[in-house]
Amino acid sequence: MIATKLDLTTMQRESSIREPLILGHKTYKDITDDVVAPIMGPASLGWKIMITISSIIAIYGIGSILYLIGTGIGAWGLNKTVGWAWDITNFVWWVGIGHAGTLISAVLLLFRQKWRMAINRSAEAMTIFAVIMAAVFPGIHMGRIWLAYYVFPLPNQFGSIWVNFNSPLLWDVFAISTYFSVSLVFWYVGLIPDFATIRDRMTKPFAKKMYGIMSFGWSGRAKHWTRFEELSLVLAGIATPLVFSVHSIVSMDFATSIIPGWHTTIFPPYFVSGAVFSGFAMVQTLMLVMRKAYKLEDYIHIKHVEYMNIVIIVTGSIVGVAYLTELFISWYSGVEYESYAFINRFSGPYSAAYWTMMTCNVISPQLFWFKKIRRSFVATFILSIVVNIGMWFERYVIIVTSLHRDYLPSSWGEFIPTATDIGVFIGTLGIFLTLFLAFTRFFPVLALNELKTILKSSGESYKNKQVK
Amino acid sequence: MANKKQYWSGLDELEGTEAFKELQGKEFPEPQSVDEFLSDERHDSTTSGRRDFLKFMGFSLTAATLAACETPVIKSIPYTNKPAEITPGVANYYASTYYDGMDYANVLVKTREGRPIFVKGNAATGIGAGKANVRVIGSVMSLYDKARLSGPTKNGEPVTWANLDSAMKAAISGAGRTVILSNTIVSPSTLKAISALGVEHIQYDAISYGALRSAQASAFGVDAIPTYDFTKAEVIVSIAADFLSSWLSSTQYAPDYASLRGPERGAQSKHYQFETAMSMTGTNADIRAMIKPSEEGKVASALLSALKGESISNLDSSTSSKVLAAAKALSGAKGKSIVIAGSNDLSTQIIVAAINQLLENYGNSIDLERPTSTHKGNEIAATQLIEDMNSGMISTLITYGCNPSYDMPNAKAFNSGLAKVKTSVCMNGVADETASRSTFVAPDHHYLESWNDLSLRSGRIDLVQPTIEPLFDTRSAQESFLVWSNAENTDWYTFLRRQYNESYTSDSLYSDSSWNSAIHDGYMSVAETKESPDYLATIDTSSASRKVAAVKGGNVELVTYVKATAGAGNHAANPMLQETPDPVSKVTWDNYVSMAKVDMEAMGLNTYFAQEDFASVVKVTVDGKSIELPAYLQPGQKPGTIGIALGYGRGANGENIGQAAFQTGQKGEHLMLDSGLPMPIGANAFPLTTRVDGNTIYANYNVSIEATGNEYPLACTQIHNTYMGRDSVVRETTFDSYLSESTKPKGEASWNMSHRLNVHEDTNHDGVIDARDKTKTGAFDLWKSHPIEEVGHRWGMTIDLTTCTGCSSCVTACNIENNVSVVGKDEVLRHRDMHWIRIDRYYASDFSLEKGEEEGVGVIDSYGRMEDPSENPQTVHMPMMCQHCNHAPCETVCPVAATTHSNEGLNQMTYNRCIGTRYCANNCPYKVRRFNWFNYKGYMKFANVNPAHDSLARLVLNPDVTVRARGVMEKCSMCIQRIQSGKLEAKKADTPVIDGAIVTACAESCPSNAITFGDLNDNGSQVRSISENNRSYHALEEIGVKPNIFYMTKVRNLDSNEA
Repeated sequence: MIATKLDLTTMQRESSIREPLILGHKTYKDITDDVVAPIMGPASLGWKIMITISSIIAIYGIGSILYLIGTGIGAWGLNKTVGWAWDITNFVWWVGIGHAGTLISAVLLLFRQKWRMAINRSAEAMTIFAVIMAAVFPGIHMGRIWLAYYVFPLPNQFGSIWVNFNSPLLWDVFAISTYFSVSLVFWYVGLIPDFATIRDRMTKPFAKKMYGIMSFGWSGRAKHWTRFEELSLVLAGIATPLVFSVHSIVSMDFATSIIPGWHTTIFPPYFVSGAVFSGFAMVQTLMLVMRKAYKLEDYIHIKHVEYMNIVIIVTGSIVGVAYLTELFISWYSGVEYESYAFINRFSGPYSAAYWTMMTCNVISPQLFWFKKIRRSFVATFILSIVVNIGMWFERYVIIVTSLHRDYLPSSWGEFIPTATDIGVFIGTLGIFLTLFLAFTRFFPVLALNELKTILKSSGESYKNKQVK
Repeated sequence: MANKKQYWSGLDELEGTEAFKELQGKEFPEPQSVDEFLSDERHDSTTSGRRDFLKFMGFSLTAATLAACETPVIKSIPYTNKPAEITPGVANYYASTYYDGMDYANVLVKTREGRPIFVKGNAATGIGAGKANVRVIGSVMSLYDKARLSGPTKNGEPVTWANLDSAMKAAISGAGRTVILSNTIVSPSTLKAISALGVEHIQYDAISYGALRSAQASAFGVDAIPTYDFTKAEVIVSIAADFLSSWLSSTQYAPDYASLRGPERGAQSKHYQFETAMSMTGTNADIRAMIKPSEEGKVASALLSALKGESISNLDSSTSSKVLAAAKALSGAKGKSIVIAGSNDLSTQIIVAAINQLLENYGNSIDLERPTSTHKGNEIAATQLIEDMNSGMISTLITYGCNPSYDMPNAKAFNSGLAKVKTSVCMNGVADETASRSTFVAPDHHYLESWNDLSLRSGRIDLVQPTIEPLFDTRSAQESFLVWSNAENTDWYTFLRRQYNESYTSDSLYSDSSWNSAIHDGYMSVAETKESPDYLATIDTSSASRKVAAVKGGNVELVTYVKATAGAGNHAANPMLQETPDPVSKVTWDNYVSMAKVDMEAMGLNTYFAQEDFASVVKVTVDGKSIELPAYLQPGQKPGTIGIALGYGRGANGENIGQAAFQTGQKGEHLMLDSGLPMPIGANAFPLTTRVDGNTIYANYNVSIEATGNEYPLACTQIHNTYMGRDSVVRETTFDSYLSESTKPKGEASWNMSHRLNVHEDTNHDGVIDARDKTKTGAFDLWKSHPIEEVGHRWGMTIDLTTCTGCSSCVTACNIENNVSVVGKDEVLRHRDMHWIRIDRYYASDFSLEKGEEEGVGVIDSYGRMEDPSENPQTVHMPMMCQHCNHAPCETVCPVAATTHSNEGLNQMTYNRCIGTRYCANNCPYKVRRFNWFNYKGYMKFANVNPAHDSLARLVLNPDVTVRARGVMEKCSMCIQRIQSGKLEAKKADTPVIDGAIVTACAESCPSNAITFGDLNDNGSQVRSISENNRSYHALEEIGVKPNIFYMTKVRNLDSNEA
């Protein structure tokens, strides 16, 4: 019989055999100290170097974007046959990455997965920044970005002009903006008690004032906590369907079209699991660096990594099945365009991209079946990057190989990226990293007040055993 | 009763006070002098300090700056006195005639507010069908070329006409011989003006047909080009004559040829083509044989033998069997056939004349009584002239309508001779190769600025009339002749009029009704003078046969040809034509060596050309003369031969012939040679030709070719050559199988079967539900048909793949009509050509999935092999533009509803609303949408190619069509501006729109009437009846987009064992 004891303060049972969620003999004060340390102290040299590099990349990217807007979309390698390539690839990739944060904080909250508390804050931040990066692309990919407001159903003086509600691109506008605003609110609500903690500790007057404003006058009263808990639950309820809707709708950009290789009903679930897959991989990449840099090894440890790797195996396998289903259906349908599109995918001019995608997304996550690999920080870090490369290629393969050879062979062509294509993509990586680094410097990277609720909830006896 | 009411401005006035009376005399009631104002002490003690001053300054500066931020003012100046014939916004059409020594066409010139903006064939009163070709349609661009000379020059410096005239008069009347060298002049009045000058006149043609003429002279006694009537030619055998594109009067032949190609009349003409390189005509042939240029005479000789029932030798078995088949077909069509040869070899032409005589074609399909007056060039005299020039015997040389420094095979000798001529004057409009080497240039008007009379055949005079005031200080060449002659004291127009009305004075300008109606119609009928050829003369072909049999071929043989889009070089600076893809190779902006795949592979040359896959450069050497050009894989090219187009390499010494004539780089800049001169496009192949019996043979039987190891990008608009067995894109059949099912309803014949889907219903009523139960795909629809599909207009189009020759006239006509941007070579290389209509050219492949299954080849390999065209492939030309789908995939995906369906069935673009997501283009199954990647009219990259950059060239733009902004999508609008104006005309006349009253630019320009436009809802319309023909189908029918464009199954005149 498994010995459990009921902790009366949190009304939770403590398992003696489960690994604890927070290692080391932490006190409540230790948690606060550990989390606010990067904010209170001076910036580390590593942080300074990192943000310098990432800002340079970001500025290069912004320069590329300005050049693009100043010159025209012709600065990219697109052409009459391939009207979307890196732009929408990057868009879908970033949106996919932006899936993990909300999934972790909302879905896992509803499922009462306590381990999420160590990672949800930074995963949500990653989501926010990734969605911002994603939103860049539909904007700059427009030929006339200065008229971007046409996509909003605004009352106007142009006569009876209205947006086209049939267009999946318009659905994107609504889906992304809803997802972004809900994620932002959810993230911010979670930050309020933590900002208050920092405010209370902050000695520098300006910073104190800023954190004071940002904490909305939080005083930690029971009433506040009740409202906080209720609001979190409500927002989690709203955010959960959005996790599934956003990428389903993004996938409809392709699924509702008539281009062989795009016109596929399997896309919504396939895209959602792909998004979760890539999102978790990106969380791993960032988290593994962060835990080292900010000495958060006790809070984010191998148990968290293992859980996330399990999610990666599951979603990666779903993606793999989806790939094979696509291939099967292209043959089974008997439609010559469909079957050619897929034959061309794996044997045509872009077959290298296809096989990169297959290797990175289908084969590499299967390595996590081995416990040694699943519980290795180094292996996880490498594989998380591999998965993100694979997921970028997945979008590239779907978009470019389908377009470059569609119905009329006379129009078959190729897409070759230009320096501006590459500059804009790398630039968004730079902007993303800059934002994330700024976040780690000024925001509590762990949900410290939430963490305190699980300090005593798990494995106290397990830990005691370990110490002996 | 007068109104006696009075009004007062106030009580003061009513009472008439003194103060009021005093004020009445002053302009301002309260006077204040400026001095007083300034001397007011209060201003000295003003509180505005330095800071206030800066504030005021800042405000004023900002206000002034903001006020300057306005859209630039574009002035449109109204007429002070409106010319009677011009109504702003309404086009005027003038009948005129185009002739440049090569092409001859009766044209209608469309002018807007006095500017010619469009040239089209004059279908109403033109000779035959009255059609123009791609070069004639594109010629309007050359009027607005800023490289045109703005006045006469001497040694490159401007000079006055008076100075030039006195110098010329002195030169002509001085000692030594004066010679006029020109192309063939078909204007009776110009010839008179020249003869008034009283000097020697030598004519030559850039592309010589001397042998054809000499053959007629020796056989029948008439030294002239025969008139061919292709409307009577049920069997055509062409030995390397590209008669649909460039050979002789191709503007006439193409429509006449097409008139016998449609299978609906129960018969179809049969066309055999024996040729080396794949010509546009060759792509249309029913049977095409690949021969070496040295075999052209042998084929003619073998054909004659076969017709006489003799055995044939000297040819390989495949060619012989085709010769025998041709002979069999010909002997069944006596008097109803035409045999022609493109060769300029006298022996070959004599044999061909004998064949036509044997077939009784003379007097039936070939007319030598009313011969064609073009191509009278005398090569022997021209060669003699060059010798005389070099020996210093010529003191004055006048060159008119020709460019011998470029297009003579021995141009080098001509140029050295020209340097020895004391006074040379060139009448070309730009400082081209000849003009820049001449002492004087007396620039002639552009043909759209000139008066002239032309006569293609006896009995008819075609008139050339000016459609615009001369743009520059140019002068009609004929006027110059008259001035220099002293004999005629009259201006050119009066001189011309007096040819037809001796009592003409300038007072009777508007009173001569017969002249005015001739000008209106573009021609006048005159008395016919017939030649008297002896059609029954005995032709001795024995020596000719011996000669052609003795021709020795080499390992590599060269054939030079004229490209449909470039002509003999005179269109080199025309960006519209440069960017119109070659009808066969689809290469733009370039010249290349066409080669067979086996030869290229043997030499290790690149055989795939795309954005980053460049062509290998080869060096072709003939008698020590060599040129370097990229090698292009041309299916249908006879192995062991190469082909090079003439007309390239213009401006090789940096002559300013127009900025579009030179190569541009990735930034649109002119590429420079090491010598600092701009790099010409391609290389001049005229020097590579050979001479036999005084005639230039446009081939060379022994050349050497070697790889240079260099690479060069070739910009093709189409990279993929086969249609991959996708028979819902292209449908084709043979005439045999067409006939066997010609009465079946639409969608039922095996060669045009509607796409069907299996259904779970007993649709074939055989009692069981199985795989044989099928329903037409068109019956399935997610959407209800919209009521407006049945009422009002529904514009649609039919395109007949059988008669489409691929000539690309529609492409150029559309570009000019719709202000389609020219984007230059680098952008075409990036697959960003902007053409609204393109002609997809597909070659047949030897391989298919079925064949792969039989041979046990895997699917992937089968697809790979299907990408390769056959060695001598059958070809399909498929014009492709927006299909105006009724269930358009582009319309549903646009987030801002910028592309919508009109209630007349048009898929229309609202440029102002477009934000440029390109989703519509991605979702277009036909890939016909074109995106404005750059600001083509302003971005420097396009300054050298796009006419909209230049204030002069901009005048060619059609004011009815917007020049699209950067970042918007565009595509075929079905010439909505023409539809709109046609509807307005009908409304004004209070009648329904009459079928045929509205016609799109492509349909109008199509020489073979393959494109028909009209109202599909009009039961009586031609387009409706053609669309209901059983050959009609929708491209990609099964995807259910329901286009308004119908294609007509291509029928080749083949029987089952030939197919």
